[in-house]
Amino acid sequence: MINFLRKALLIDILKGLALTFRYTYTKAYTEQYPTVKVKLAERYRGAPRLNNDPETGETLCIACDLCAEVCPEDLIVVGSVRDPESKKKVLTHYTYDTSRCLFCGLCQEVCPTNAIELTQDFELATYDRASMLWDRTRLEKGWRRIPDHKDYK
Amino acid sequence: METVLTYVIIPFIKIGIVAGVVLLGVAYLTYMERKVLGHIQVRLGPMRVGWHGLLQPIADGLKFVIKEDIIPLRADALIYSIAPLISFIPALLVFSVIPFGPPQAFENLLRWVLPFFLSQAAVENVVKSTVATGGFVADINIGVLLVLSVSSVGILGIILGGWASNSKYPLLGALRSSAQMVSYEVALGFTVLSVLLIPQTLSLVEIVQKQQESGVWYVFLQPVAFVLFFVCGLAETNRNPFDLPEAESELVGGFHTEYSGFRFAIYFLAEYTNMITISAMATILFWGGWLRPFPNVAWLGFLDLVPGFIWFMAKVFVFLYIFIWIRGTLPRLRFDQLMQYGWKVFLPLALANLMVTAAILLLV
Amino acid sequence: MDERTILDAHELEINLGPQHPATHGVLQVKLKLDGERVLDAECVIGYLHRGVEKISENRNYVKCVPYYDRTDYIAAVSNVYGYILGVEKMMEIEVPERAQYIRIMMTEFNRIASHLLWLATHALDIGALTVFLYCFREREEILKLFEALFGARLTTHAFRMGGLWMDLPEGFVDEARKFIDDFPKKVDEYEQLLTNNRIWIDRTKGVGVISGEEAVDFGLSGGVLRGSGVNYDVRKQRPYGGYDRFDFDVPLGDNGDTYDRYLVRVEEMRQSRRIIQQVLDRLPDGPIRGKVPRVLKPPVGEYYSGIESPRGELGYYIVSDGSAVPFRVRIRPPTFINLQALRRLVKGLLVADVIAVIGTLDVVLGEIDR
Repeated sequence: MINFLRKALLIDILKGLALTFRYTYTKAYTEQYPTVKVKLAERYRGAPRLNNDPETGETLCIACDLCAEVCPEDLIVVGSVRDPESKKKVLTHYTYDTSRCLFCGLCQEVCPTNAIELTQDFELATYDRASMLWDRTRLEKGWRRIPDHKDYK
Repeated sequence: METVLTYVIIPFIKIGIVAGVVLLGVAYLTYMERKVLGHIQVRLGPMRVGWHGLLQPIADGLKFVIKEDIIPLRADALIYSIAPLISFIPALLVFSVIPFGPPQAFENLLRWVLPFFLSQAAVENVVKSTVATGGFVADINIGVLLVLSVSSVGILGIILGGWASNSKYPLLGALRSSAQMVSYEVALGFTVLSVLLIPQTLSLVEIVQKQQESGVWYVFLQPVAFVLFFVCGLAETNRNPFDLPEAESELVGGFHTEYSGFRFAIYFLAEYTNMITISAMATILFWGGWLRPFPNVAWLGFLDLVPGFIWFMAKVFVFLYIFIWIRGTLPRLRFDQLMQYGWKVFLPLALANLMVTAAILLLV
Repeated sequence: MDERTILDAHELEINLGPQHPATHGVLQVKLKLDGERVLDAECVIGYLHRGVEKISENRNYVKCVPYYDRTDYIAAVSNVYGYILGVEKMMEIEVPERAQYIRIMMTEFNRIASHLLWLATHALDIGALTVFLYCFREREEILKLFEALFGARLTTHAFRMGGLWMDLPEGFVDEARKFIDDFPKKVDEYEQLLTNNRIWIDRTKGVGVISGEEAVDFGLSGGVLRGSGVNYDVRKQRPYGGYDRFDFDVPLGDNGDTYDRYLVRVEEMRQSRRIIQQVLDRLPDGPIRGKVPRVLKPPVGEYYSGIESPRGELGYYIVSDGSAVPFRVRIRPPTFINLQALRRLVKGLLVADVIAVIGTLDVVLGEIDR
């Protein structure tokens, strides 16, 4: 009998309707992206950046070539010369092809000096493919300056 | 002179106002749908165009107008072009008999405006007839019949649209759509009939006036009929949960697969106008039309300050909200289940309701 | 072009084409229809084939891993888990306990996320629009947790050989606890909208029925198999990675129809939540990475490691020839094998049900095509 009444009075449908009605006056979950800054985690694997020593301003990269070896796509090319006095390698060229990058993070993982780092920059869209091949200057510059994001590192 | 004024000029002005309000209402109904559906789904709906998206319907309309006008190569060009209009024009025509306000709604307004143009005796002549002063375009004594029959003509537009597209998917969708609408028209007709047994008139204005006299709205006398009417109305307008023929995720995109641009916009407008028609009929037949709540309770007389058409629009708004609310909640019925419900559940219920009402009226 | 008109009753061949809002990817299904009834269905796959197994033959064991994220992109954490377990077994690498617990927790989070996506798209196909957005709201929370721990939301590159990359960040445990405290209420909401809804029951009961024996014959696994009543869950049959330390139930269905598979997966979400609760309560301290040799050169041989991904039994068959690059890595995609049953399931159903059946098989094209 109860079952018949439940079916006749559409109780199951009314319960569902009550739930959705409750949601009409709750706060929406949307983040309105371009006007509101996106909060990303610290470990987010975004665009790469070649870091410099904060005191001396020189590059931290020791041209050990580990990042190029570990990259699954083989898209890092590290060029270096050996300095005749200190017998250490000095970085000359560094090329990173972001068009094929998987953003897997293996390069930043194996780097012994934290030179290559994946930042939180995800807005990488461009109009031509050639500009996705980043050289050392672009990598050291890091993010393109977007006025809203000046609080990001 | 007064006859021309009474029977031609004032009705034309009213037609203009009604058509304008209905079209604007349809456009902002799309906005309301997106906003309400958005909030049900914990998101925001349109926010960018205008403040909180208020100019969105205008942007949409502009988009439809400036799109390329495509007619498929093997489609029947003439019928392809006309079919949306065949859907839309009857949907709009129905509003000529729907009363927004009582028969004396504009009396005070006319008494204030007309003395600038006419003599006092002429003004009295004009104000005497409800054609000029009524809150409706026309009060026909077979109003309900006109609404039901004219809205049936709209189905033809769907069949023609699917046929003229000359392609498998629209044809299947059109046939399904029209089969659904025709089946639910039968049940709709019977529910309306059972309500009409009480006032015993087909004129929409008189139905509301009888509700005013008897002091009780017909929804309290005929609750089953109201629920049936609303559900059949959902099926008539191809809305969720009966919107399989035009759902995007089903196999066929429905009769409007091949349509784009302004013709698609006209089909869209026709569907939303039908929604408003069903809501308006539900308010008039069951919920007292332009009457204020508790029309015979004296101490609530201050509510009389609100003109009748505001009450009417508020009630229609509530029903439109329920349309959208249901769309956001329920899954879709499969087509064969939909037809089964229409013929095996709703029609017997409507007939049973009719017989029980008739029996009670005979005994009482 | 024959003289019969389009309305005559003869077989209609329709393409549920590769671009379709409801086929969860680029799946093409060729349907032979008699009016509205389906006579036959043929799946055409391969639109998303990227040659992942061939790529693996040219990368060493560590470099292969990011590619497996992209096969079943919705359950990326479990994918990588299966492969890494295989290699760790071959090389006999010890994984510390904290790493094991965290791995299990993240795999269970991934199971919840994948089932939420399944429910969202399944309900959307059947017409309930709001469940889609409610499920995605929960999934968003889980993806934020993934981002905090792994660095990416979808293609997580979650685990490394021998453990994890980095330990749990600050505040992770609190966020996770907050999520799983809220979660049962949300699952109740989905059930309130769907489980007893007569329209939902009409659409899913009795649709796509497959019996237990037939399911085993086809080689199905996952929710599809358990919906037909067969009690096979790799986490219970061949426990891996420490699952035998946690208790959880394996829900089973009765009739093997779409409704039962829906109930089984919703209950699995609740059971996953139970596992995560236990992990968070008992999380030990310690290192998160075991000792791993510098160059991974497993001994010559073959190894199969199967895990329970949200879709079924995901297996990695690794053939090693002693060098640093695997000779062959064959992935056993559960959905590929489940999809064979589509032909058997849709015979005699209506067209609208085909969409429901594709949804209930939990199809992900990345995994089918690799």
